[in-house]
Amino acid sequence: MVGTAEPRAAIEPVGMPRVVMPGAEPPQPGTPAPRIAASRYWRRSGTATLGIVVTVIVAALVLPPVWTLLHTSFAPEETGSSAGGVTLGNYVLLLRSRDPMGLLLNSLVFSFVAMAVSLAVGGVLAWLVERTDAPFRSLAYVTAIISLATPFILYVTAWIFLLGRAGPLNDIYRQFTGTMGSPFNINSLPGMILVEAFLWSPLVFLLMSATFRTANAEMEEAARISGATVFESIRFVSLKLARPAILALAMFVFILNLEAFEVPALIGIPGRVDVLTTEIFRSVKEFPPRIGYASAFSVVMLLVISVLLYFYGRISRQAERYASITGKGYRPRPLRLGRGRWLAGAIIVVNFVIVLLAPLLAVVWIAIMPFIRPMRWDALHTATFKHFLDVTSSAYYLSLVGNTLIVAAGVATAAMMLTLVAGWLAARRRSCGRIIDQLIVVPLIFPGIVLGVALLELALRSPIPVYGTLWLIGLAFLIHYMPFGMRYTYAGVLQIHPELEQAAHVAGASIRQNIIRIVLPLLMPALSSAWLFIFLLASKEMSLPLLLAGASSQTIAVAMFNLWANGQGSDVAVLGLLWTALMTGFATIFYILSRRHSSAAFGN
Amino acid sequence: MIPRRQVLVAPACAILFEAGDGLRPAAADAADDAQLIEAAKREGEVTWYTGLIVTQVVLPLQSGFQKKYGIKVNFVSAGSQETATRLLTEGRVGTVKADVFDGSAPFEPVNAAGLIQPYKPQEAAGYPNDFKEPSGLWTAQMVQITGPAINTTMVSPADAPKKFADLLNPKWKGVMAWSNFEEIAGPPGFIGNVLMTMGQDKGMDFLKNLAGQTIANVPSNFRVVLDQCIAGQYPMVLSVFNYHVAISQAKGAPVAWLPLERSTLTVGTIALLKNSPHPNAGKLFLEYCLSEEGQQVTRDAGYIPADPRVPAKTATLKPDAGHFAVSVISPDLFREHSKEWIGIYRTLFQ
Repeated sequence: MVGTAEPRAAIEPVGMPRVVMPGAEPPQPGTPAPRIAASRYWRRSGTATLGIVVTVIVAALVLPPVWTLLHTSFAPEETGSSAGGVTLGNYVLLLRSRDPMGLLLNSLVFSFVAMAVSLAVGGVLAWLVERTDAPFRSLAYVTAIISLATPFILYVTAWIFLLGRAGPLNDIYRQFTGTMGSPFNINSLPGMILVEAFLWSPLVFLLMSATFRTANAEMEEAARISGATVFESIRFVSLKLARPAILALAMFVFILNLEAFEVPALIGIPGRVDVLTTEIFRSVKEFPPRIGYASAFSVVMLLVISVLLYFYGRISRQAERYASITGKGYRPRPLRLGRGRWLAGAIIVVNFVIVLLAPLLAVVWIAIMPFIRPMRWDALHTATFKHFLDVTSSAYYLSLVGNTLIVAAGVATAAMMLTLVAGWLAARRRSCGRIIDQLIVVPLIFPGIVLGVALLELALRSPIPVYGTLWLIGLAFLIHYMPFGMRYTYAGVLQIHPELEQAAHVAGASIRQNIIRIVLPLLMPALSSAWLFIFLLASKEMSLPLLLAGASSQTIAVAMFNLWANGQGSDVAVLGLLWTALMTGFATIFYILSRRHSSAAFGN
Repeated sequence: MIPRRQVLVAPACAILFEAGDGLRPAAADAADDAQLIEAAKREGEVTWYTGLIVTQVVLPLQSGFQKKYGIKVNFVSAGSQETATRLLTEGRVGTVKADVFDGSAPFEPVNAAGLIQPYKPQEAAGYPNDFKEPSGLWTAQMVQITGPAINTTMVSPADAPKKFADLLNPKWKGVMAWSNFEEIAGPPGFIGNVLMTMGQDKGMDFLKNLAGQTIANVPSNFRVVLDQCIAGQYPMVLSVFNYHVAISQAKGAPVAWLPLERSTLTVGTIALLKNSPHPNAGKLFLEYCLSEEGQQVTRDAGYIPADPRVPAKTATLKPDAGHFAVSVISPDLFREHSKEWIGIYRTLFQ
């Protein structure tokens, strides 16, 4: 967002600092930067102050909910009233869950395999799109963006519908074999893995494509010239260079899967496949929700994740070795795949069909049928546009669009501004970088309801009247999506060799100029991917607005939940489709603008 | 023990449903009405936390009330889970923001936290006694009747279960589902109905055998469960609202509702909050929702109105007109037994 002169008032909230970036051409080769000891450079540069400021902001956002989390995890079971006392009861209950080893094993298998699948799908696509001359490359973007824009309940409903007993896949099987069986069973561990993996593969794709777009192609080319095959150059060069970014991403997605509630619950519970979070899901659905129990689980997860982060920190210590954006000028050139081009194209198309087209068709089917019925040709004549008319004729929905766009765009922008600096400090391992990196990942393990309740309490006690306003939802979203923004900026900064910043510093640039003129333009692909990602996710996020919105701050997701909970399945599908279309329009405009900008910065 | 009075058969039910007619105290309350309206108008607005369908119930009630009294209605639409959490947090901090809320699921914890303001609406004077709490803690806004439903393209009427015992037929093993919501309309209410109908010992034997049928627990609301039956995922589902079935039937969906020996009758409640910002507007709004006019709106959306003066859109959805027997499980009866029934659900069926 920052650092561009492109007109994009439609998605840019008022009040954004607008910085015009002079000289977007790449740094010229052949002007060797004087080498100075890194420590001396940073001591003089005043990063300490910046580090402290960012740490204070992040801590102010993260620590109050952490306090609530700890507090409720030790509170006696009869929450709901402010009963005092301290107990370990919630932790004891965790140990007493039925078959804890089996649950742990299921959780690990689910999280690891789903992570591997998202990484493979998203990673391969990102490489094909950014580094090769494969056909249909923009289709991969369309797939990622539209599936990110699709509301979660619709996406899961579509998969349950597609792979269900009466779904088209089982139908086709029965017609071909003439038997009555249903070989595809969505309510199973593979079913859960599949949906979870598809859910996050667009995230992986967007993150990896930002990484690959800015990676220096010279090394790949050198490998090819030295006689390496395409696969060898991928294995020994492309993947090696992206290693810290991929590792960070793998761990991030693994954590997302480990703490996921919705997919394991909606798909696993009917098939009696339980994971660690299943019992937590049940406990927060009780009346009143057992928040203490969910909090205890989150505290344990927090400890596990801290250990993971510690080991990750050791791996990424020598991250500079992987930086490929250096002071030398470069122009990434696509790898020519030759006859492999069509195979690559086929992979992109298959991904489009499975991840986007199939579920979208199911949603369209639900939207045009008078009631939810199996996909059959003989049912087609009952198609109706009544649901479209119902939804479009109500002014109520229109009134919610503004709220949703304001809060989603505002949060995406705020999160990017914060995580740009935070990601830079963390990746450069500068003052407070380590602490910021650890703090910012914490919100990832808050169950929505824990974060929501913490903010409800804070807002009710706050002297500033934020209760029930869009500001409160914005704050909740910022805390919730900070970790996502951080993954993008962190991976992006790792790629930029510090020598560029050192050179700028020697040339007399201040920290501010350094970040705005050097880091920001080079980070633009990562930042715009992240902005889009947070914007799309925040605009469809349901659980936080349901808990926090007031009478005048309802969002479109609240309306969708209301329809869904009251049995208007077809109206949900229609509203979801219209919303997805609107978001896709926004995203496309944004993508074209940011692409144009990145061409200016990277010269491709 | 469960009081026998709660178990109604059709003829008794008919009497009870009509008993309220003509009981509404008339002109004597006119002065009270005027005072209440005056006080409500001074407050100028009312805040309503609701789980009802916005486009078909909430917006019409909002505009109807605003037109009639010129008092603004702010509504906050959310799930019952979120409504309960919000109200409990507001109560804990001591800053109540809502005046009125609906839903019997959030009512229990909110009442347990001592946050309810008792009020006996005049408009509900003619409602059956089971449809209102004696001290005015809650009043029924709508009637909810639950039981099994079948997909009629997958199950022929001849094969459809007629009695609870038919559910134990081996052909139903692994193909039945219900919501996992631990509410009156979900498995706990179904279990309560079985125990009330068959008695404790026979009922428990039946439930143990039923658990052997491996019923799928769907972690979604009753409507979604019914939709999965219509879509063919499950040929039979065990506890869905009969008015949802009627709405789907009207659209041509292949689905039928099965009143076995007894169905479960419960109510959707509406209640006032203690120390609320607009107490009089809250009372007036409650009166409006329970008036004939407000109940018409509820009926037009497909719900079964609690007011005996207003018939259901499909008349046979009410036990008297539909000639089926029900076990009435009021919020109070559910509170008494919920621990036991939820316990049975978790031990046998999860």
